[in-house]
Amino acid sequence: MSQSFSHNINSLNTTVNNFTFAGDRSDILGWLSPLNPKLRHQDIQGRRVEALGEWLLQTEEFRRWHAGGGEGESDNAVLFCYGDPGVGKTFNR
Amino acid sequence: MEIRGLERLLIGNEDEPPPEREEKGQVLTSYGVSSLVTDRLCDQARGRKVAVACFYFDFAAQKEQSPASMLGALLKQVVSGLEEIPEEIAQAYEEHKNVIDGRGPQLADIVKMLQTATSKKPTFICIDALDECAARYRVKLLHSLDEVLQRSPGTRVFVTGRPHIQAEVEKCLSGRVTTIRITPKTHDIINYLRARLDEDTMPDAMDSSLKAEILKKIPQDISEMYVGATTPEKVPQVMC
Repeated sequence: MSQSFSHNINSLNTTVNNFTFAGDRSDILGWLSPLNPKLRHQDIQGRRVEALGEWLLQTEEFRRWHAGGGEGESDNAVLFCYGDPGVGKTFNR
Repeated sequence: MEIRGLERLLIGNEDEPPPEREEKGQVLTSYGVSSLVTDRLCDQARGRKVAVACFYFDFAAQKEQSPASMLGALLKQVVSGLEEIPEEIAQAYEEHKNVIDGRGPQLADIVKMLQTATSKKPTFICIDALDECAARYRVKLLHSLDEVLQRSPGTRVFVTGRPHIQAEVEKCLSGRVTTIRITPKTHDIINYLRARLDEDTMPDAMDSSLKAEILKKIPQDISEMYVGATTPEKVPQVMC
């Protein structure tokens, strides 16, 4: 009897804890960082000229980088894209 | 419309100081490319168990964009896509709540949490304009990313930046980096011109022959400018 009581208390605690975590979800996310890059992303998204740079997604380098995701290969995990030195400063901004 | 003037507007002035965030007047911007890649990855991720997180560096926000807050922001996006907050993170938060000076998580903790969170599913991270990250933060950030990648091999990182940081990126993320140079292709320039011409505030000054000349002449001139500086590279066949 007392064992079952203690079991019930434990599961109640778990429920309470889970509930607390669910309620704190946005607090936890806010605690992880004060920054919200998604807002900047949405801002850019709205002003982007469609189809510019689409070719990049068709390059072999991009495809290889992309296909590597989830297959447990760490080679080429990073794809670095840089602007042309001659004009890079401004056009790539 | 003077063609030379427009051309200058399109590619900008090389001597211009970089900090100004010029929103118009560039064909292919790093944030344009980064947001495009982020969106395409998100499209593909829909319905699949894949996480996508992005970050945009900004000269004007160098102080706030520390390695901890930047990686924390990536972590936040990865975690928000998980059904449950990982136990380790919930616990760290609970502990923090009990401390009086409750500060944000420290870099080492964030790296550990990011290793855990990104191991749950394949994760794509897009980082824009890394060169705008304060130099004192950049190496620390790259080393932290390297630590995450060591533990989380299913994670892919897409980075844009000016060429002067290439060596630093390749050194800190040794053996993991593929590099691509971005130059506006002819069809990028044409698409850009079309979009800008559509926004013309004085449409009466434009006629079809001038429009046709702009769409022909400018891409041609710009392509010629690139020829000398361009090393042979694969230009995918994409129709304009």
